[in-house]
Amino acid sequence: MIKIKAKDVDVFYGKKQALFNISLDIEENQVTALIGPSGCGKSTFLRCLNRMNDVIDICSVKGEILINDFNINDKSCDVVRLREKIGMVFQKPNPFPKTLYENVSYGPTIHGMAQSKQEMDEIVETSLKKAALWEEVKDRLHEPGTGLSGGQQQRLCIARAISVRPEVILMDEPCSALDPIATAQIEELIDELKKEHTIIIVTHSMAQAARVSQNTGFFHLGQLIEHGSTDKIFKNPDNKKTQDYITGRFG
Amino acid sequence: MNKNKEQLLNKRYKAEQRFRLYGLSAIFMAFLFLTIFIFKIFSTGYSAFQKTWLIVPVTFDAELMMLDQNPSKEDLQDADYYDIALKSMADLDPNANEDQENELKRMVSYFFEKEIKNELLNDPNLIGKTKEVYLTASDDLDQVFKGNYPRDLPEDQRRVSDYQLKIFDQLVANGKVESKFNISFFTNADSREAELAGIASSFMGSIFSILVCLMIAFPVAVLAAIYLEEFAPKNRFTDFIEVNINNLAAVPSIVFGLLGLGVLLAIFQLPRSTPLVGGITLSLMTLPTIIIAARASLKAVPPSIREAALAMGASRMQTTMHHTVPLSMPGTLSGTIIGLAQALGETAPLILIGMVAFVNTIPGSPMDPAASLPVQIYIWAESAERGFVEKVSACIMVLLGFLIIMNLFAQIIRHKFEKKWS
Repeated sequence: MIKIKAKDVDVFYGKKQALFNISLDIEENQVTALIGPSGCGKSTFLRCLNRMNDVIDICSVKGEILINDFNINDKSCDVVRLREKIGMVFQKPNPFPKTLYENVSYGPTIHGMAQSKQEMDEIVETSLKKAALWEEVKDRLHEPGTGLSGGQQQRLCIARAISVRPEVILMDEPCSALDPIATAQIEELIDELKKEHTIIIVTHSMAQAARVSQNTGFFHLGQLIEHGSTDKIFKNPDNKKTQDYITGRFG
Repeated sequence: MNKNKEQLLNKRYKAEQRFRLYGLSAIFMAFLFLTIFIFKIFSTGYSAFQKTWLIVPVTFDAELMMLDQNPSKEDLQDADYYDIALKSMADLDPNANEDQENELKRMVSYFFEKEIKNELLNDPNLIGKTKEVYLTASDDLDQVFKGNYPRDLPEDQRRVSDYQLKIFDQLVANGKVESKFNISFFTNADSREAELAGIASSFMGSIFSILVCLMIAFPVAVLAAIYLEEFAPKNRFTDFIEVNINNLAAVPSIVFGLLGLGVLLAIFQLPRSTPLVGGITLSLMTLPTIIIAARASLKAVPPSIREAALAMGASRMQTTMHHTVPLSMPGTLSGTIIGLAQALGETAPLILIGMVAFVNTIPGSPMDPAASLPVQIYIWAESAERGFVEKVSACIMVLLGFLIIMNLFAQIIRHKFEKKWS
């Protein structure tokens, strides 16, 4: 089933066009990887999906992005609601400089998801368990989240993102600041999370895209060159540029 | 080739050594000046914290005080103390003629009558008895006792006569002159008499001004900074505002004084010489300082924290209030305290709005006339009497102490509440 449908999306930074005519369908409960060389627009596209580009004054987005058949670029779309449904994990782990507990409970608190302390405790526990962090931190929930290691911080950010039970999770190079062991843990986690969430991951590592994703889109110079199942893109791409990138001839 | 390289390397090392030397000598100079300054202030000022008392036997003669037998409390209040006060001073030299009696009287402060009265009010049983009472010495004798008085000047160039010095030396020899901690320096308001003048009025005036300044400048500046940094669109108009705020910080303080005079006093008819007007004027001055500090510390909050909150579905307002502002508070607060410390030392605008007036009452609210510490320094520095010289330094010491405490507080806030982010 198709979860997100992007139709003719153009993005401009001031007068400079960053994305050209992107049309892409994203399957529900699957992992879609966006790959491409630096500056190709894959992160920009990702940030269109929860309208994080709104924050940048000079950025403007044209075209339709349908999530559950509702155009999020429409004026009637409320960004607060949208971001409740679409979580995001950033390139650099960015926990709030607060306790672990406060980090995870922040989303449910502002969206009024827990009626009691007990319910909140449960949400925090399940979120941390799903993020495979619970066992490591259950004894120090009230210590600052910034005291964790890089990999743990990133899993904390994932726990924070899933605490509001989003339908979609956007991941912007979530492992680029992590060592191989932490990366492996996160990848395992992504595999687990796709059962309940639709995941879109931007990555620089083609090996990672091949490992975790079912679908892949290849971006180059602001254009979506090719997209399809990961198997096909990696083994038998239609476009020569894709072939060159995958085989490491540029990028 | 190799030799050239060697020479070049040597040159570079020498240049570095020279640079270090310049730096060290600069620091040494700064330290030297500071030491001289502090030494000068302390050596002149420390004696102001001691006060000289003459111990004079006073006979509480009911007849001279015009008191009946068994007087009530009111009677004691209304009694005439001038005659016994005068008599006890005159009795210091039984052979004194009328002129000399006058000189004897001037050896103590004009407050001596009241000091004798307080003694009796404290212990009504003293009527008819004689007791040694501590009387504040005149400022000149105070200076004589502290060794600051040029006794070797010819008599006609001195305010203390040879006769007074003779009697005073006798008293010293008999152990009837004592030096005690000068409490009245902290509890008295200003006075024309150096021996009675204190900093209570100006200290309270400064505190009230700073409080008014804080209450106006802090909320306005923080709101302005938050709006400009987090909400305002970046366009020409906001750029223009930013430039103007920076310019405002560079406006000489006396201009703000003129503004206070022209607007607050002339148009709004606020009471003159009050900490209220002083505080408002100072707040105009402090405003840009706090805005700049608050904006800088808001800017220092990493954008990743804002993004994290926004991506969680927090509204802009929630992102600002839950994350950005709390994280920026240490910087904002220490900026505020430094701005207030600046305002505390400000003299020129306060002189213009009339806080330079002679105030001999202690203000109970920001609406009462008051002086402020720096203005008090200015007033005393202008006074001719020798007794005010040490007061100026002592007042500077109090002001410096105040400033050091405030800056220390700013440092503590900065270190204690500064949170580290990944």
